[in-house]
Amino acid sequence: MNKSNKALKKMSLSVYACRKCGQCGTKVTETVPYVCPVREATPGFDHFYSRGKIVIAQGLLEGKLHPDANLARAVYSCTLCGNCMDKCGAINADTGEALVDTIGIVEAMRADLLETHPEWVDDNYKALLTATRQYDNPWGVPRTVKEKWAKKLSLPRARETRTEVLLFIGCTTASTPALAPRAVKSVEILQKAGVSVSILGRDEPCCGSVQKRIGALAQAREMMEKNIGLLNDTGCNTIVALCAGCANALKNDYSQSEQKLNPRVLHLVEFLAELFKSGRLEPVKRQERKVTYHDPCHLGRHMGVYDAPRDVLNALPGIELVERTATRKNSICCGAGGGMRVFESGNFAEKIGMAAIKSAEQTGAEDLVSACPFCEMNLETAGSLSGTAMTVRDIIDLVHDSVMEKK
Amino acid sequence: MGLLNREKLVDEIAEIVGAPYVTDDSMAAFAYSQDTSLFGGTEASVVVRPGSTEDVSQIMKLAGRYGIPVVVRGGGSSIYGQPKGVPGKNLLIDMTRMNSILALNPEGMTVSAQAGIMMGKLQLACNSAGYYVFVPAGPAHTVSLGGWLSGAAGGGGIFREIVSITVVLPDGTVVRTGGGPGTNVRQKHAYFRNLGGPDFSGLFIGDGGSFGIKTEVTVRLLGLPKVTRACILEFARLEDVLALLKSHGERLNPHPFDPVLVFGPRAMELFSAGSEKSEKFTAMALMQGHTEREMDAKRDIFDALAQKHGGTHNPALDAMTDLMAGGGEGEEQMEMFGLSFFNGLGLAAWLPFNIPRVSLAEIYPKLIAWRDQRLKQAAKKGFECTGCFEFFTPSDQCALSGEVDAFFRDSDDPKLREFVREMILDFQKYTHALGLLDVYNQGAMSRMNASCWSPGFKSLYRIVKNALDPQEILNPGLWCAPSEKTDEEQP
Repeated sequence: MNKSNKALKKMSLSVYACRKCGQCGTKVTETVPYVCPVREATPGFDHFYSRGKIVIAQGLLEGKLHPDANLARAVYSCTLCGNCMDKCGAINADTGEALVDTIGIVEAMRADLLETHPEWVDDNYKALLTATRQYDNPWGVPRTVKEKWAKKLSLPRARETRTEVLLFIGCTTASTPALAPRAVKSVEILQKAGVSVSILGRDEPCCGSVQKRIGALAQAREMMEKNIGLLNDTGCNTIVALCAGCANALKNDYSQSEQKLNPRVLHLVEFLAELFKSGRLEPVKRQERKVTYHDPCHLGRHMGVYDAPRDVLNALPGIELVERTATRKNSICCGAGGGMRVFESGNFAEKIGMAAIKSAEQTGAEDLVSACPFCEMNLETAGSLSGTAMTVRDIIDLVHDSVMEKK
Repeated sequence: MGLLNREKLVDEIAEIVGAPYVTDDSMAAFAYSQDTSLFGGTEASVVVRPGSTEDVSQIMKLAGRYGIPVVVRGGGSSIYGQPKGVPGKNLLIDMTRMNSILALNPEGMTVSAQAGIMMGKLQLACNSAGYYVFVPAGPAHTVSLGGWLSGAAGGGGIFREIVSITVVLPDGTVVRTGGGPGTNVRQKHAYFRNLGGPDFSGLFIGDGGSFGIKTEVTVRLLGLPKVTRACILEFARLEDVLALLKSHGERLNPHPFDPVLVFGPRAMELFSAGSEKSEKFTAMALMQGHTEREMDAKRDIFDALAQKHGGTHNPALDAMTDLMAGGGEGEEQMEMFGLSFFNGLGLAAWLPFNIPRVSLAEIYPKLIAWRDQRLKQAAKKGFECTGCFEFFTPSDQCALSGEVDAFFRDSDDPKLREFVREMILDFQKYTHALGLLDVYNQGAMSRMNASCWSPGFKSLYRIVKNALDPQEILNPGLWCAPSEKTDEEQP
């Protein structure tokens, strides 16, 4: 069998469902300043946005295009944000799903490229995959990092003790010193609400999202199948993920697996919204802040979670939430999605992030709040580069400040 | 590539536009090898995204110096394909970087924009400033202003609103047609374009991009209508609905505020997702204006006129009327006629036609019968038709434009695409044989339309083309091959 388009062939119906109309690159409305952040940040040739990539995909499938090293640039210049799929509007009337699965097509092209011409793929992507094999996380940190943050909390381990929720920290939060305190804060908030929390500690696996996004589909599938067994074995009813990428993988990607993941999966903001609504969590402190919310693509467009973070912010006394022009399903990616922080040294990711900062500044907000460690890191970098006076914050910080008594 | 190799060409163009905006990346070039149509895009060697008229002028001078074939692309949304140029050797100019509003002049009621702007973006900018610019009902988000003017006869109906066009001629000369500053009529402000000399704007409208590259356009504005109304009635007989259109056209020019769209039975099935089946025609008048009183009067007059010609109301249509009346502005209006709805229907066999109003009663049933015959053939081959869309609308009081499209369930079977491609071409051959000409001057259609030219018309075209583009470097072979003799009929 010709291996060159093995993954892409599975997406061929989606490739041919694309009309190549170009709305995915050119649509502008009152609430859609542009569709593709990559097209905006790059010189904007057609291969930088969805239509051009799908033309290339069709060329590969039909044998009209012979791949060369330039293919890597075409397929890795994508945040996989899915805004193009939303703006395309081509919906399967029976299922309600997008007819043109650009994310699936690009992931498949990446997979085929990794399989047939790994030499064309940026070494930094391959390093993430190697690190995952060695350390069970893409960042190449020891497994102990996954429990280091929890040292002082003496939390039960989910494999031994069943609790109301299993808190899934994620590789990025656990391994980044600036982000790791979020995990502690999350536990404190949940415990304040009377929620019993367990973790997997050093046994917490990588969810497989990063690997899938950069095209290591087989590796990601293997990880996911294994993880489903592990997570089901804990017997927990609810997994609460801190990271939007993990939450999306656990909820959506895992549902494509042969085995079913038994626990329900929520992102932390969804669970916090439930806690506020039920009265289990109550703010005790007022913060006078004007904030705007950045919808992470994984949480928003991919999981459809738009109200929960806003409900949480609106539940915090003194917090004034102001919206950007492009918000909710029209929100523009922060730039970190789809491995863009690796693509061409992250230059375009930074440029996209700076555009996100600029649009947030236009609201007059003091804080740009998100709910994803990838968004936060990229927006933080972009904020520094653009010299913004805004503070980039995670929603956990605001909730923590509001519900916890001062020590 | 003549005397210049590809790398050198890229270097020289980079001097003009900046290195990031020119590429010979094989994947970048391939991405332009297809557009919305099933007829293919352009096989380019080098792609450039210029940012200004001056950039385009310098590029054309360079292309002229070395005899490089140039193909121009706007939104890439033709239904008959792009100019082929000289496959593999083309310098493709992607105009979509030139997408800025240059001047919105409320006092003079004009807007000037770069020609690569999408109609939807132009409309949004004007609407936001309280002004209305005519945008033909269609894929506003994917059709560029320059694309409309070049690729559709009469610029898709926008030609009446054009005040001035800035064009880069094939030798790099920049001309500005029409009236107003810097044009052939040297007035301080934009002026009526036909005064002071021949209407050279018209030369470049519907030329398929053959005579020059449109880079900037000034368009007339109207005050933004704040009030919308719709009036929808059904008709048992085609003759009755045509009588209504004649009466409506006698009273007022339907362009641009008062279009009437007539939908055939299959289109209404699509709108109702199959729940409504009837053999009737549905006439939908969309009215836009400035006061409630004005619009109520307009609606009531149309309603009475329609009823006089046998139109009847029904509850389902009345409900649709409320929906349409409420969604007549801004984003929602664009979505209503946008691509999203059609994109979801499947692979489209777009079957458009343009017809004198007086001929429709005789010809329309033939078009439907032709399509249905093809659908039977499709069924035999196992291609599933998911729906048909039939509509026509007055372009003015004399002519109608319409479509009798069919949609097929998506498949990766190349035979399906071949079948649909042939269906589209054969339909145009059939309508040409019936004496009709389609409005699109693009790709495969240009040659077909040119086959209808008289020897004198063809001679005139060659004289103009030879004068403006003696090397035939701009969109070469679009209408007819450079080698064709002027007095020779196309097969």
